[in-house]
Amino acid sequence: MQLPQFPGTNIEILLYENVSNVDAIRSRVVELPYAFIDASAICSVEQIMSAIYRVMIEANYNRLRTKTLHSEILLALSPTSNIGEAFKRFGLKENTKNLFMIQITQDKTSNVDKTLVKGDIIEFKDESIERMSDIETIKKIYKIDQSLHLKNNTQLSRAVVDAIQLRGL
Amino acid sequence: MSQEIIDTVAQYLTPSIPIKLISQGAEAVVFSTAVHPYCPMRETASGNEPTQYIIKYRSPKKYRHPIIDKQLTKHRTLSESRLLAKLFLIEHLNVPKLIATDVYNGYIWLEFLGEDLPNNCGYSNLKNFLWMYANDPYNEQVKNTLFEVGKQIGLLHWNDYCHGDLTTSNIVLAKDDNGIDWVPYLIDFGLGSQSNMVEDKGVDLYVLERAIISTHSSFSGKYNQWLIDGFSSIYKAQGKTGAKKLEEVLKRFADVRMRGRKRTMVG
Ligand SMILES: Nc1ncnc2c1ncn2[C@@H]1O[C@H](COP(=O)(O)OP(=O)(O)OP(=O)(O)O)[C@@H](O)[C@H]1O
Repeated sequence: MQLPQFPGTNIEILLYENVSNVDAIRSRVVELPYAFIDASAICSVEQIMSAIYRVMIEANYNRLRTKTLHSEILLALSPTSNIGEAFKRFGLKENTKNLFMIQITQDKTSNVDKTLVKGDIIEFKDESIERMSDIETIKKIYKIDQSLHLKNNTQLSRAVVDAIQLRGL
Repeated sequence: MSQEIIDTVAQYLTPSIPIKLISQGAEAVVFSTAVHPYCPMRETASGNEPTQYIIKYRSPKKYRHPIIDKQLTKHRTLSESRLLAKLFLIEHLNVPKLIATDVYNGYIWLEFLGEDLPNNCGYSNLKNFLWMYANDPYNEQVKNTLFEVGKQIGLLHWNDYCHGDLTTSNIVLAKDDNGIDWVPYLIDFGLGSQSNMVEDKGVDLYVLERAIISTHSSFSGKYNQWLIDGFSSIYKAQGKTGAKKLEEVLKRFADVRMRGRKRTMVG
């Protein structure tokens, strides 16, 4: 898919469930031309998409703080500008079961290697994502006060999007 | 307004984001669009009316030094965005949802609030809403709505934020989920700030009172009373501290009004 403002950039997002080869992917994460994100830290489509949008704004109108657009997505998801922390929170962990594999390229055609991750591809939509998210962890990552009134996922997601759009500014 | 600004925005957004100009203020130009900046799957989802989004653009000002201008634009865009994020965290306070912000170019994307009022009464801000009821000025819905508006301002002030430009155009009414009652939202926090100063709060209340008097003068007595009733209800729910703070704000409000009167008499 493309973002309307950046028609020359192609974005591929795959959501995997029950992944069995996380270890193998983790050991090669640096060399692989994708962003891998632990799905438990994600609560909505707009969380992922607003981070990608932020990456595109930084890439086009400011500067990147990491080496690639892919690592920049992990930073963009984070509420702080500490890159190590961002990788720890949003990157793959030993016990990661579900994950996002994201590719940003400047070509029109996608060339995502669908054999890389061993798991079930499921539709990239809120209902699937919500099944995988760990709400308590997300609230902790974004320092969203437990006592806060954010009753449902829509509201949690809104607070998360705010944090993503404003990080480090 | 200069075609130049519209062209700049159109170029930034590319032809895939068609825009409609809806307002040009001193500070910013506001457009609406049916295209979401990053959730393409949104557009086709449900409903018959396409969802709309607001794009608020602060254009470079030629009379400022370019470097200063860039800094100011960034500062103001960021300050409004930050404020919206903070205000969203206040329970029961209604402000537009922040969708995206590009501080380098001066753009803020917001959810579109409100709708067209029936019988060509215009867009559903408080000003047009009160006009719509000009033949039935003390209708229960008017009373309830103004009370709710007062509550919104009470919540804002009780949490130590000020609006800075509280006119009847900057209060927008949107239908609630049942599609019957009007829910007030405060918009345009371009001049807003975190502030615990009674002066700022008094000025907010005075600005709104003046706005009501100037456009709805025959009914302004009751209208302003209902607003203050709603405002006070928020403070009164906070026990002794609330009652004390309410007294301070209302006293300063009266002072500000007095100063305003003196100024008009002299001037
Ligand atoms: N979230 C929104 N939903 C619907 N309409 C909006 C929204 N935000 C702004 N508008 C419309 O755009 C107008 C101008 O927006 P806003 O007041 O934020 O800009 P401004 O440049 O600060 O305006 P001004 O200088 O006239 O006060 C509003 O009066 C309203 O009609």
